[in-house]
Amino acid sequence: MRCDWVHGYWVHWQWVRCEKGFGMSVNAWIVVGDQPAIGNLITVARSLGGDGTIAAVVAGPRAVAETVAASGVDRVVWCGTPDGSPAEASAPAVAEAVAADPPRVVLGGRNPGDRVLLGAAAAALHAAVLTGARSVTVGADTVTVVNAVYGDISDETVEISGPVALLLDGGSVPAASGAGVPIEEVTATPYGVKVLETIPSEFEEVDLNAAQRVIGVGRGLKAKEDLSLIEALAAALKAEIACSRPVAEGLNWMGKDRYIGSSGARISPQLYLAVGISGQLQHMVGVTGAETIVAINSDPNAAVFAQTDYGLVGDLYELVAEITSVLK
Amino acid sequence: MKIVVAYKWTSDPEEATVGADGVVNWSRARPGISTYDPVAIEVARGLAAATSAELIGVTVGAKGVGTPLAAKAALSRGLDRAVIVEDDSLKGAGQAELAAVVAAVVRRIGDVDLVITGDSSVDVAAKMVPTVLAGELGWPAVAEVTDVTGQPGALRVGRAVPGGAQVLEISGPAVLATSADATTPHVPGMKDLLAAGKKPVEHVDLAALDVPASSAVMTITGRARPARKERKHQLLDTSDPAEAAAELVKALREVGAL
Ligand SMILES: Cc1cc2nc3c(=O)[nH]c(=O)nc-3n(C[C@H](O)[C@H](O)[C@H](O)COP(=O)(O)OP(=O)(O)OC[C@H]3O[C@@H](n4cnc5c(N)ncnc54)[C@H](O)[C@@H]3O)c2cc1C
Ligand SMILES: Nc1ncnc2c1ncn2[C@@H]1O[C@H](COP(=O)(O)O)[C@@H](O)[C@H]1O
Repeated sequence: MRCDWVHGYWVHWQWVRCEKGFGMSVNAWIVVGDQPAIGNLITVARSLGGDGTIAAVVAGPRAVAETVAASGVDRVVWCGTPDGSPAEASAPAVAEAVAADPPRVVLGGRNPGDRVLLGAAAAALHAAVLTGARSVTVGADTVTVVNAVYGDISDETVEISGPVALLLDGGSVPAASGAGVPIEEVTATPYGVKVLETIPSEFEEVDLNAAQRVIGVGRGLKAKEDLSLIEALAAALKAEIACSRPVAEGLNWMGKDRYIGSSGARISPQLYLAVGISGQLQHMVGVTGAETIVAINSDPNAAVFAQTDYGLVGDLYELVAEITSVLK
Repeated sequence: MKIVVAYKWTSDPEEATVGADGVVNWSRARPGISTYDPVAIEVARGLAAATSAELIGVTVGAKGVGTPLAAKAALSRGLDRAVIVEDDSLKGAGQAELAAVVAAVVRRIGDVDLVITGDSSVDVAAKMVPTVLAGELGWPAVAEVTDVTGQPGALRVGRAVPGGAQVLEISGPAVLATSADATTPHVPGMKDLLAAGKKPVEHVDLAALDVPASSAVMTITGRARPARKERKHQLLDTSDPAEAAAELVKALREVGAL
């Protein structure tokens, strides 16, 4: 079976059946916060094989637990919704549920809330924590993970005896598969954290993974108004606009879901066009899966040119306008 | 009142090289305070000043994280003192192990009201040390924190969430991971560096700490340089921008990217 669940890499799965009667009844736990974006986690949990179950513990609203219950997992535990509290407040209930039925593997997505729940579960289990898994193989006594490290410059094969917590791309909301399993409700004293106010983002949400062509804007762009130049190119290319981290965090020209890289989105489009981006490791790791990479940068020594198919050394203002007019 | 800032002393993988065997060579990389941790120190400094709290820096790691130069670099950013665990058995330690040691230091310091951390470390960027640390302490953790006001015990915490922002109130001790852009840290001046030399630094033996045993043993059994797509590395002549644009569009059509 082949399956491409992380970083756009093709991964060969080795199916290793656990021997009958081995160890624990639960194979994998999935921790879920206030969004059921766990499609990828279910795929990974399924690929582990074994005789155990896939259980999910949900610290978000009941509706999230219902979506998860219909997603094909074997068991769902719901922590209830302590009044006005964020998912993080239910970390004790999540840790208790997982520790009560200790797994070989715990999986969580990269949302801030999910990370907190995974950390709580990992601490309760005294588990190892890995965040760059490309593949996971469950053996009789050990779990073997090929783990990308240091901005994905190296892959380490790590053999773990004992429980392991994996932080992975959560993926999309899974489609309902059948009637679903009953929801077990658990209680534990939540932490004293209350939401006083929720402020919606001024930016429209985007799914960069759905785009065939993506333009990445970097600090080479001098002003927010100049984004209109990029928008014109995006329209001509039928591309989505993304950016480097400082453009979204710091300059605040775009929403955080638009930045690409080790801490942002990892995408594999047909075309990635980096405009005014220097090409630092932490950014480029997000586009290693792109079919074709083009860079426009005024600095001939910019690191980005070592990582592209086509490079244009020059002023982005001039070149972007020219490319737009050729396409029209 | 005590506020702890956890900071990491490490190198940027941008400065490392990787051999064909996947072994990472750090010899040309210069260690420093992990890129986003000065943001955490700055946020913590502001809160400590507003609440008259003591601000204690904590770092744990292999030999080198506690040299006088490293300690001074952290202290000059506004810490009152530092507690450092420097032990070569922590070389290559995973996030769970590091978090367990930091938790043990926090317990040892005692009466800590709040731990503030950076967003992610420049070398591994796991974003997991603060969350496991909170689990170890039995405290709530909140990530992507943009601002903190109020008093420990009744904290007001602003944080980014997917699709917007929230204001939280936290009634007990907590671990807060600051967002990378929570604030712009100031650059320490000569005066700060001189003052840093006089601040107390406590070195704690790893063996003297109460660190719960991990249930998991990790062994690295192999390394490889990840296979990357071959790139064409074709530089187009841009002396005439219009021609360069036309050439690019033609090339992109040929490879099916358009
Ligand atoms: C732990 C950690 C995690 C990180 N995660 C990410 C991440 O996920 N994603 C990310 O993007 N970054 C990330 N970063 C930041 C990253 O290291 C870089 O700092 C960032 O990507 C640089 O953004 P940039 O290329 O837009 O800006 P710069 O590096 O400032 O580059 C701007 C470029 O624009 C060029 N330029 C200027 N004017 C023009 C012009 N008129 N025409 C053409 N070119 C021009 C310049 O030559 C320069 O190369 C992370 C950093 C750390 C420490
Ligand atoms: N060895 C360490 N000692 C102290 N604090 C650390 C250490 N490693 C990570 N941290 C803190 O945890 C944050 C996130 O690190 P990471 O989970 O490695 O991405 C960092 O920004 C630091 O504030």
